[in-house]
Amino acid sequence: MKQTTTFPKVAKDMFLVQLYWAFGFLGIMLVIHIVKIITAFIQGNEVDSYYNSVFVAANIFMLVIGLISVYFLPHYAGNGVTRKDYFKGGLLASIGLSVVIPIIAICISVIGQFILKNMANIGLKEPNLNEVVLDIDSNIIGDIVQSVILTPFVDPGSNWILAIGLFSLNIFMYYLVGWFISASFYRYDTITGLGSILLGLISLTLVDVLIRMSLNLPVADRFSSLDLPAVITIPGIFVIIVIIIWIIRVLTKRVSIKM
Amino acid sequence: MNIKVKNLSLTYRNHVALKDITLELSGEKIYGLLGRNGAGKTSLLSVLASFREASSGSITINGEEPFENAKIMQQVAFMYDKDYKDESDNVKDMLQDIQRYRPNFDMDYAEYLIEKFKLNKKKPVKQFSKGMQSALNVIIGLSTRAPVTIFDEVYLGMDAPSRDIFYKELLKDQQNHPRIMILSTHLVSEMDYLFDEVIIINKGKFLLQEEYNSLISKGATITGNRELVDNFVQAKEQINVQQLGDTKSVMIYGELDDHERNTALAKGLEVAPVSLHDLFVHLTEEE
Repeated sequence: MKQTTTFPKVAKDMFLVQLYWAFGFLGIMLVIHIVKIITAFIQGNEVDSYYNSVFVAANIFMLVIGLISVYFLPHYAGNGVTRKDYFKGGLLASIGLSVVIPIIAICISVIGQFILKNMANIGLKEPNLNEVVLDIDSNIIGDIVQSVILTPFVDPGSNWILAIGLFSLNIFMYYLVGWFISASFYRYDTITGLGSILLGLISLTLVDVLIRMSLNLPVADRFSSLDLPAVITIPGIFVIIVIIIWIIRVLTKRVSIKM
Repeated sequence: MNIKVKNLSLTYRNHVALKDITLELSGEKIYGLLGRNGAGKTSLLSVLASFREASSGSITINGEEPFENAKIMQQVAFMYDKDYKDESDNVKDMLQDIQRYRPNFDMDYAEYLIEKFKLNKKKPVKQFSKGMQSALNVIIGLSTRAPVTIFDEVYLGMDAPSRDIFYKELLKDQQNHPRIMILSTHLVSEMDYLFDEVIIINKGKFLLQEEYNSLISKGATITGNRELVDNFVQAKEQINVQQLGDTKSVMIYGELDDHERNTALAKGLEVAPVSLHDLFVHLTEEE
């Protein structure tokens, strides 16, 4: 019997299915954006760019599809695919998705801005997402909520490669945390699952702080005394990501498939 | 193809699902796996299909351990009473997806079966009735043509005519594409003619594995005059007794040799075979 490697197939299939969902998400965001433009046009306000709106919302979208991604496992196992191939395929698909979503967002945004500038003459708000950080009183819940809503941001106008890279890193991190949480629930009971949510939030906050430090962006007061150089923060981000990926693999390596 | 199971045990938390099971399946035959509810049929099959790992003991398929073995897992298809309530794809899309992962999948055959079972190809699978979902499982299992194909009670939701179509198609396809086919069931009387070999497990333990024909020759029904029958069966293990007036019918367990058979016939007693159903009920009876 012909024996071919299976994980590229899994990667392609999972990528396409999730990309299809992403189009739904980006489409809804576009509708919201158009509504905002129309309101702005009537009231004479400024609007956020499409890129900025997607930037804020994409984290939650990726968290949600990360949470769903463990349910591809019984599907694949039922079709004779190993847990390892599922893991490799799923990981590649999530990387692909994390790269493609920002690119699509920036393309739509550029087209949108071009149309706005030339036709409607609506001003765009200066992106100042990072500054919001300073307005919030420092408490740990506030920090977490803030790190979910406002991940470190670089304006694509200033350095678009860095901007896209950062966007990708943010959403990839959210996907991984979602996947990690769902894998914990799948493998263990509810208590352990709840613990994994806590662990997931801690890793998100940590990576958030490390990215901010690496890029000299404003950091929440709690962490502002820690001024770590980039030679520590960048490998730190990398290490956290690798650990989460490794835990997902450990959780799913020999897991029983639910029937 | 062969499957060897050796001293296999499976324990969930505090519950022992399988205990020290040893058996061997060799040759492209249809195996009937029988057991009462909770006997461990599904547990055994899910270990065969690498859905879970055994707690102890070993299992090999063609000499290799199947768990997380891409080559083996690809050749094992495990169909069970799956819930499709979240499946928004239609049959066609679902089968196309499966085809990507199953090297022997035959789409033409699947289409033929869809016609046979009269499934709607455009409707999302989640809108299918229970019976239609069962038929879909059967279609997937047959057209995957995996060298090891396992059906774990998937036919329970189907109505009698659909089950009949399934049995016919199964036999036909097994003839054209022989494989190791394992059918677990408790619809014993309806499916017994399908089995080449029968495996019975009870309370997580292996009970017997035998050719269908030799197994049913292990029992007999002796019918005739009450006294004559009583006389003849008194030294035998009796499974079931029925009496109507002066005529008595006793089912016995244990092979009759030619001499005994001839004696019975000479006395004017009728000797008939027993059904697998009766044997199964007797062998797995609670003490």
